[in-house]
Amino acid sequence: MPINLTVNGRPHTLDIDPETPLLWALRDTLDLTGTKYGCGIAQCGACTVLVDGTAIRACVTPVSAVERQEVTTIEGLHPENRHALQQAWIEEQVPQCGYCQSGQILAAAALLTAIPKPTDADIDSAMVGNLCRCGTYPRIRAAIKRAAGTGA
Amino acid sequence: MTVALERRSLLGAAGALVLGFAVPLPAARQASAQARQPVRPPMTGGAGSLTAYLAIAPDGGITLYSPTTEMGQGTWTGHVAIVADELGADPARIAVENPHPAAPYRRDVGAGPAMGSGGSWGVRYWYQPLREAAARARAALVAVAAERLGVPAAELRAEGHHVVHAASGRRLAFGELAAVAAQRPLPDSATLRPASELKLIGRGMPRIDIPAKTHGGTVYSIDLKLPGMVYAYARVSPVFRAELDSFNAASARAVPGVLDVVAIPGGAAVVASSMWAAIRGGQALEIRWKPTPHDAITSADITAAMKDGLAQPQGAVARNDGDVDAALRSAARVVEAEYEVPFLSHTPLEPWNINVRIEGDRLEIWAPTQNQDRLLNRVVRETNWDREKIRLHTMMQGGGFGRRLYEDMPSAAVIVARAVGKPVKLFWTREDEIGQGWGRPAQMARFRAALDAQNNVTGLWVRTAGTSMARDFNNFQGDLDASSVQTLNDTRYRTGAYRVDYVRRQAPVPSMPWRAVGATQNGFFMESFLDELAQAAGKDPVALRRELLAHDPRALRVVNTAAEKAGWGTPLPAGRARGFAFVESYGSLCAQVAEVSMENGRPRVHRVVVALDCGSQVLPDGIRSQVEGGVIQGISTAMGEKLEIAAGRVQNANFDGYQLLRTDEAPTLIETHVIESGERMGGVGEPPVPPATPALVNAVSALLGRRIRKLPLADQLA
Repeated sequence: MPINLTVNGRPHTLDIDPETPLLWALRDTLDLTGTKYGCGIAQCGACTVLVDGTAIRACVTPVSAVERQEVTTIEGLHPENRHALQQAWIEEQVPQCGYCQSGQILAAAALLTAIPKPTDADIDSAMVGNLCRCGTYPRIRAAIKRAAGTGA
Repeated sequence: MTVALERRSLLGAAGALVLGFAVPLPAARQASAQARQPVRPPMTGGAGSLTAYLAIAPDGGITLYSPTTEMGQGTWTGHVAIVADELGADPARIAVENPHPAAPYRRDVGAGPAMGSGGSWGVRYWYQPLREAAARARAALVAVAAERLGVPAAELRAEGHHVVHAASGRRLAFGELAAVAAQRPLPDSATLRPASELKLIGRGMPRIDIPAKTHGGTVYSIDLKLPGMVYAYARVSPVFRAELDSFNAASARAVPGVLDVVAIPGGAAVVASSMWAAIRGGQALEIRWKPTPHDAITSADITAAMKDGLAQPQGAVARNDGDVDAALRSAARVVEAEYEVPFLSHTPLEPWNINVRIEGDRLEIWAPTQNQDRLLNRVVRETNWDREKIRLHTMMQGGGFGRRLYEDMPSAAVIVARAVGKPVKLFWTREDEIGQGWGRPAQMARFRAALDAQNNVTGLWVRTAGTSMARDFNNFQGDLDASSVQTLNDTRYRTGAYRVDYVRRQAPVPSMPWRAVGATQNGFFMESFLDELAQAAGKDPVALRRELLAHDPRALRVVNTAAEKAGWGTPLPAGRARGFAFVESYGSLCAQVAEVSMENGRPRVHRVVVALDCGSQVLPDGIRSQVEGGVIQGISTAMGEKLEIAAGRVQNANFDGYQLLRTDEAPTLIETHVIESGERMGGVGEPPVPPATPALVNAVSALLGRRIRKLPLADQLA
């Protein structure tokens, strides 16, 4: 049965198994490779995307579970890639290898939607599920605060 | 004195410079290198090739062929800064690519020339060759401009992507000059710009790869899609090094999207039309492996073998100054302690994968490798492919940390591509990535120090025991693996009589270099023991280190900088303690002070102060970034990382069990103090890692009032 999926504002009809994780529908079928595979068990956050503005782990979310909802990937966060967080990420020179950063930015976007001026504790609880092996955590924190206008 | 001479001295130890290649080679290899033709990089759109490292297109776009892999450490930006400054180019108009392995891109730091990135060599090694290449390219552009303008070259300057004649106000763009300049022989040498003209080197510039990494625009190896590509999940044994017994493909073939199941060395590749279908097919595959001698081995067995190694009367001697046995016999007091660290995984977030395409007799490989020649050599050795018909494309890396020095299953990818007649991406899941081992070796160490009646250190014997990493990784057959005594054998500390020896106790877990390699475990051992020794001698930990480094002003400056900036010795809030550590590795000296408290039974790192003497710097913010990441990786290993081994395999092969540091436990304040000593340029990617672990553990031991001698802390605090 076809799956109707709206990703970054565009509707798609996918002829795939409804149990396919959203991660693989995005990467394999829609060629949206900004969403990353890191662990497959919702432990690293590299696959984080937004569903109706909430951060979810696409690697454990069946594509059928997000039908009729708005999926936003890193490619669709801002039409010109100039979301306040993306700009802050550049200003703070956050990424090293960059592999986790799509997920980090989307987790942060969901945080700022829910809590526009997050405290350190808010940042901890929103971002604890996103691993960064390069160790960019202090810069991610600073970039979130910069985007939120709460200073470094 | 010219800057060229000053800068050349930075690289003196790397060997003589061979102009025409601008790659330092040992003398024995110079003749054969010079006999070969200079390599011209692949060109597009009529680009002008000026040296093997630079091509300038008619529109002025410059391609820099960087010999180093970009894994997140920032060397591509460092190379852009070096070239842009020396050339007088606009850094925004320089694009970076990795070339196919060839002589100009190989470095030789003692093991023969090879293209690869490791040992924190990316900037310190290539600084001089790239500056010289850019200076010669600039001289070539200026020579053409001098003819066109009819003025002496001496009246021209290269700046802002133009050659400029200031007296007449005339200027010619680099792009207008490059095609003609590329037709002529390059000048053999050119004077480097004086320091006063450098705008980027030492000041820095934004990372060139960061914008694309904020919007999913970077194509990592795992993201690459070639026309007609199929996806092969390689099922290999969870038991280390087991060989394939048999498989039944029927259940895998029943999974929708699965196209084929192909036998490969060590297992089977399930080939499908998508990565997800390949994973599902791989999970469904019925497969058995042959028994191994280590089918039942556990972490405890590995520890027992290392303890046995510590107990041996003799080891392979790495260093032996004075008479340690006599010093220990005549000591007023002997202080002794044993330490242990576990096997660790690199866990780059991008799991291993490799892409191949076969067209006729041509083989193309796209790989996330940091060891290009090694990968190429292995493919040639295992497949007998004509080396001249292979093209290797290095992909941007989703993390390295040493992991991509090893190439998993490149020949298996070739086997699969041949079998299915299509381009193939062969890949592993996270469980395979961690489960195959290939991490930092476990190791133990025993220290015995002699103190005299005045509490002076008069002798020290360090015995290490464990897996020889070089045996696994390079088939090293000797008794003394250098990484097993790294930083111990060449320590700056003077402890009177001093012996370092090693007993090999090989575990079946495959091991290889892991960011900072032997410096990580040995730095932890030495710096932990010095704190214990200080306590036994009734001395302050930093004061003891100052005593042992009294002869060494450079080291003292690093130790003192960290101590002073951290307020060592000043009062702290109740429940907090500081820990100190100093480790030299990869040409740089690094001291750190960690400020720690305990919260809910777990260490909380409030602040880390870092002093780093890396000689001189190119990208100051890039150094800070590497220091922050290195400190966090060092803290991560102290806190929770280990491979738990039982039944011959890794038991915690995903991030639910392999505990990487997360943001809620990472320090928010890491202060970096770079000391530009003017000494030979040192590495930056690795040196910040080794001191971070013992600085934290020393603080925790002080807080607990008991010494932590085995990592990770999570096990010791439970």
